[in-house]
Amino acid sequence: MAITILNAPDLDETPRGESALSPSYRHDRRRRFSPGGVAIWIALTLLIIAPVMSFLALSVSPRMFQQGSEWFTTKFIGQAFQGYTGRGIFDSLWVSTLVSLLAVSIATTLAWMIHRTNVGGRRMWAVMMWLLLLMPTWMMTLGWSDLLQPFGAAQAVGINTRYLYHEFFGPMGIVIVLTAAALPFAYFIISAGLQGLGPEYEDAARIHGASRFLTIRTVLPIIAPALLSAIAISFAETMSDFGVAYTLGYHSHFPMATYALFNAIANYPANFSVAAVIAVVLILSVVPPIALQSKVMRSRSYAVLSGRTKPPRRREFTPRGRVAATAVVALFFFVVLGVPVLGAVGGSFISNLGAYSASGVHLTMRYYTQVFNPSITGKSLFAPLLLSNQLGLIVATGTGFLAVILARRLVASRGGWSQRVTDIFLLGSVAVPGVVLGVGYIFFYNLPFVSNNVVNIYKTLPLLMLALVASALPGQTRFMAGPVSQIQPSLGEAARVHGAGRLRSWRTTNLPLMSRVLLWGWLLTFTKTISELAIAQILYPPSQEPASVTIQSYLANFESGTGTAMTVMTLVEMLAVIGVAMLIYRLVTPRGWRRIGWSGVRS
Amino acid sequence: MTLSNIARGAVRSRVGAVVLAASVASLSLIAVPAVSANGAQGPTLVVYSAQGYDSAVVKAYNATHPGFTVTLNDNSTGPLLQQIQAEGNHPKWGVLWVDGATAFAALDLKGMLVKNSVPKNVKFNALGAANIPADRSFTPASLTVTGALCYDSSQISASQLPSTWAQLAEPAYQGLLGMNDPAQSGPTFPMIAGAMSFLGHYKKGSTAHALSVGKSFFTSLSKNGLVVNATNGPTIGAIQSQQIKMAMIQSSACYGSKLNGSFPTLAVKYLNFSVALPGVIGIDAKMPPAVRAEAAKFVAYVMSPRGQHVMQTGDPQGDSLFWPTIVGEKPANKIIPPLASAHAITINPYVWGPLESQINTWFDSSIANG
Amino acid sequence: MSEPENHRALSVQVEQLRKEFGDKVALDGIDLAIEPGSFLVLLGPSGSGKTTMLRCLAGIERPSEGTIFIGEQVVVGPKVFVQPEKRGLAMVFQDYALWPHLSVKKNVAFPLHNSTRTKAERDRLVGDLLERVGITSLADRFPNQLSGGEQQRVALARALAAEVGLILFDEPLSNLDADRREQLRIEIATLTRESGSTAVYITHDQSEAFALADKVGVLNQGRLIQLDTPEAIYRHPKNAFVARFTGIAGEFPVATLRECGPQHLEVVLPFAPGETIEALAFDRPGPDSASSLFVRAAGVTLSAPSSNSGVRGEIRDVAFNGRGYEHVVSVGSGAVLTKIFSAHKFERESNVRVCFDPSSCFVMDPSKGV
Repeated sequence: MAITILNAPDLDETPRGESALSPSYRHDRRRRFSPGGVAIWIALTLLIIAPVMSFLALSVSPRMFQQGSEWFTTKFIGQAFQGYTGRGIFDSLWVSTLVSLLAVSIATTLAWMIHRTNVGGRRMWAVMMWLLLLMPTWMMTLGWSDLLQPFGAAQAVGINTRYLYHEFFGPMGIVIVLTAAALPFAYFIISAGLQGLGPEYEDAARIHGASRFLTIRTVLPIIAPALLSAIAISFAETMSDFGVAYTLGYHSHFPMATYALFNAIANYPANFSVAAVIAVVLILSVVPPIALQSKVMRSRSYAVLSGRTKPPRRREFTPRGRVAATAVVALFFFVVLGVPVLGAVGGSFISNLGAYSASGVHLTMRYYTQVFNPSITGKSLFAPLLLSNQLGLIVATGTGFLAVILARRLVASRGGWSQRVTDIFLLGSVAVPGVVLGVGYIFFYNLPFVSNNVVNIYKTLPLLMLALVASALPGQTRFMAGPVSQIQPSLGEAARVHGAGRLRSWRTTNLPLMSRVLLWGWLLTFTKTISELAIAQILYPPSQEPASVTIQSYLANFESGTGTAMTVMTLVEMLAVIGVAMLIYRLVTPRGWRRIGWSGVRS
Repeated sequence: MTLSNIARGAVRSRVGAVVLAASVASLSLIAVPAVSANGAQGPTLVVYSAQGYDSAVVKAYNATHPGFTVTLNDNSTGPLLQQIQAEGNHPKWGVLWVDGATAFAALDLKGMLVKNSVPKNVKFNALGAANIPADRSFTPASLTVTGALCYDSSQISASQLPSTWAQLAEPAYQGLLGMNDPAQSGPTFPMIAGAMSFLGHYKKGSTAHALSVGKSFFTSLSKNGLVVNATNGPTIGAIQSQQIKMAMIQSSACYGSKLNGSFPTLAVKYLNFSVALPGVIGIDAKMPPAVRAEAAKFVAYVMSPRGQHVMQTGDPQGDSLFWPTIVGEKPANKIIPPLASAHAITINPYVWGPLESQINTWFDSSIANG
Repeated sequence: MSEPENHRALSVQVEQLRKEFGDKVALDGIDLAIEPGSFLVLLGPSGSGKTTMLRCLAGIERPSEGTIFIGEQVVVGPKVFVQPEKRGLAMVFQDYALWPHLSVKKNVAFPLHNSTRTKAERDRLVGDLLERVGITSLADRFPNQLSGGEQQRVALARALAAEVGLILFDEPLSNLDADRREQLRIEIATLTRESGSTAVYITHDQSEAFALADKVGVLNQGRLIQLDTPEAIYRHPKNAFVARFTGIAGEFPVATLRECGPQHLEVVLPFAPGETIEALAFDRPGPDSASSLFVRAAGVTLSAPSSNSGVRGEIRDVAFNGRGYEHVVSVGSGAVLTKIFSAHKFERESNVRVCFDPSSCFVMDPSKGV
């Protein structure tokens, strides 16, 4: 059983007539040579496999892309595990392990509180979780450091944060931010698992005399697939995060693998080979979580969701308990989301943030007037932000389209080697840092063979779009695989049997059931695309600079006030798009579409 | 028509209007990149540049030189060099224009630069001439210095400042000094290399000695509380938040932050030496002749009085704050002192360029993250 | 019921149908003909191929070989595969397969999307169907607000709404509790017959099959073992598998004593020395193969121990079922008969006489058909 879909067990496994044959049937059909399958693998090859492999090949063969004299060498492997880079790899591994465990524990607690108790503000917390998912880690770090730095936003209102500041710039801050970032992934997977978990299991345990603790211990393993899946994705997301490694990690002298990779190629000439070794380590690091999961899952069936699963019963807190529980959840969201947003927003209104001033704090709108009307470098945010929105629109739409197709195949091919390979491929791809994809894209798409015979798009916007699709696709596919697998195949079959064609059947049954996840998936890719920096920086075509690059150049050049204001404006703009998208969804979809659907958004 | 029908009609039209509006908005958003994605046909000269004034220069050049498309690939130095390296034997750049000569020396050694590309009729001043390589494969179009001591005059008076680099390691300056990380800030490696070269009395063949003297110097700075930040922004920010009082950085960054009003009390002092950082321009040897010819015209334009003027006005509070390398041209702003006061030295990029990776790796593990 | 039946019941003909999944053979040379308007039940255990068979008819599964005619149309044949939506049929699913985002009304109206009826006519038809299945009050609910029985009624109404010549039922009752099962079975039987459509129904429940079917097809391991009326299958099971699967009270090894008429044998019961009974033997085991006696519960009567006919037995258990008593009886040294009905109660551990009706006792090779 694969991690991707563990959260949403397939109904085929519920006892039913001759279902024993069903999975193998599906497998059989998918294994056949089909034009669709070939097209998908060609697309994946062009999007991900070929560019990434071009880069990874350098780990042992620098000469392949004229990066050295050897056709084959293992010396870079040794180099990568030494000194600074070696420390980075080691740090990343333990931090990611810790973060994935923390994220899953907190996510399980929150998911339980939000879905299984009468804690206050459940709808709001579900939305907050989404906002947390959409927030890039570097923005989160920016907010925290704007808040905590000497003469920062907190000091402006009279709170001394010097001690916290030094604590924050260290492993503690790194673990906090990365946990906050990994949390939503874990949360949504566990929520889906929890929703499939009917109340009967809890009831059974309690009726047989289990204490509350024993009940939890008994019931939790039932959602083990979801937990393991959440651990795997949290681990992969944390391993590949660059935003924190580049900001917090760097400033606190805490090397992490992605920063070590960046460092290896920061010099001229860049050491692409060592970077490639690190990338291989990042990709391979997802194998143990998947292997663990396969091992645990091998002989057991965890099909807990069925068409007749009753809606779960909520645990009723006492009034005082409810207030306390609500306060705990509220405090949590305040810390992970409120604090950085307050920091960034507050910081953007303070004149000379971070500067000592004898006359105290001065509020200013100066940075905001500079956002679209810059007096200094002549770079306005307007054109970059427009471009980023266009990119977001195209990339999110394209990714959504491909992800649905891929997710359907992934779910259909469940069990067996092909699926495990697809799974490792997808999760491994999640762990590929953007810069690897970016440089790999140059290697591959600048090859004369490719540019003359396949497609000539190096130095154009379409190449950047493709790379952004490639970076979003693996995560998006995994994101969709759960909901896709929750759709009983018989729903589509029923439509076909009652006279609907293939397309109509999909439109009338699958589309409504997936509409919500499609919307959120789209928004996720949209916002991630706008805030993506590594790929954008290396692949943006001449004179077409995306917003994240503009913002970064302000932040790096002692224009952090303007840079922060731009960050806030971009956040506001993204929130506005999210709001509009949700409004349109509400207005155009029939009532039935909204009342079903997917756990992540329903509280 | 019944009331409910009218209501339903209204709902439908509202939904319709929203859908229509959304699709129109989406289409108009998509339309722009789709159109602009269609690049120009025929040979194109692409200028890879990290200079703040590059867009002004390319715009002015295109206005006065019709008939050939010159496009600008503007980015930070790091991504530009990564792009060039990844492009390998199939380069797309026609002209590279960034600060620092070391990358050019490396490209020249690989045979990737057009030799004798320095415009013939330009009269270089002394420091300009000193930065032209023997094979004349790249042109110093401007000059800034790195290793300028940038300080907050409201926090520390000029009389309290050191006058030599060696003094920076003294207890009096403990915890007061900052600098950038060479892995993230382009001008920082030349500064480190220059300091090693000067302090180690570099002569041909004495690289190892200069390296060991230089390393022990930076180690002593580190022991004296040197604060390393990523780039100019955070380093100047650290002065502003009084984490440090002064920093060894690029002169133009310090002048820029003073001039743009974000840090008016900033000032620059030059110690016993600073390191010349030429703004270098070179031409890709692998381009077709027509592109190379256009590139040569572009370089000639940059070195012409008109080109120099555009450079000096294109980024008035940033990269335009340079010293010209041509006899007769003056800095754009009075804030810039005579070049002689900077005591700028020149490093040999062919010697120090190949050491960049080694020195930066050492710096990262021993100084920046030691 | 007032609705005119504007569709014609379809015949179904299946020839040499074969379906493989990888190296598993799910269907192995099925030949089958179904009269228009008749009700066929395919009966078989898990893995017998009945679901695959139904899915092949529906077009959800693509057979490996063979031909299927529905009415005059070849839907599966060499180089022919008609998509499910073009086959003109309806289906009731085991898991109901109601679309959770559509109300009950809309679920039922779904098959009418291609109909030429006006909206008012459709609404009337849907209303009529909901009334017929007794869920008019639930028309605007969504599926997950309904009980299992209600959901399956919606699914039945949906299938009937299609007004097609062939309705398929995929174990529609297996997810319901006993009471509802009984009720809904009757509704399926009456409403389907009323509609005039041909029906193919699969189940693993023998009593369901017998109650519904005009004809029952017994499947095992991908083969159609026997196709006949329920009565014929009950009275003349083709082999041991069919006998077992259609309900027996007991099965014992026996030895033949003599032939006593066409297809009649007298057999010795080895576990009850001296006792012999008469039995049918239409599938007479070969001389070397083992023989077993299969006894239908209906062919066994109990009488007081004082009676002088029958075999001696002892009551092991007795259960009241409303109409009378079901007994478990042991005969001789340990052979056990179950579900033996008697209007009169025999107490536990009491002795009885057990009489066997020869027409309900079959001598067969126990390994046949397994």
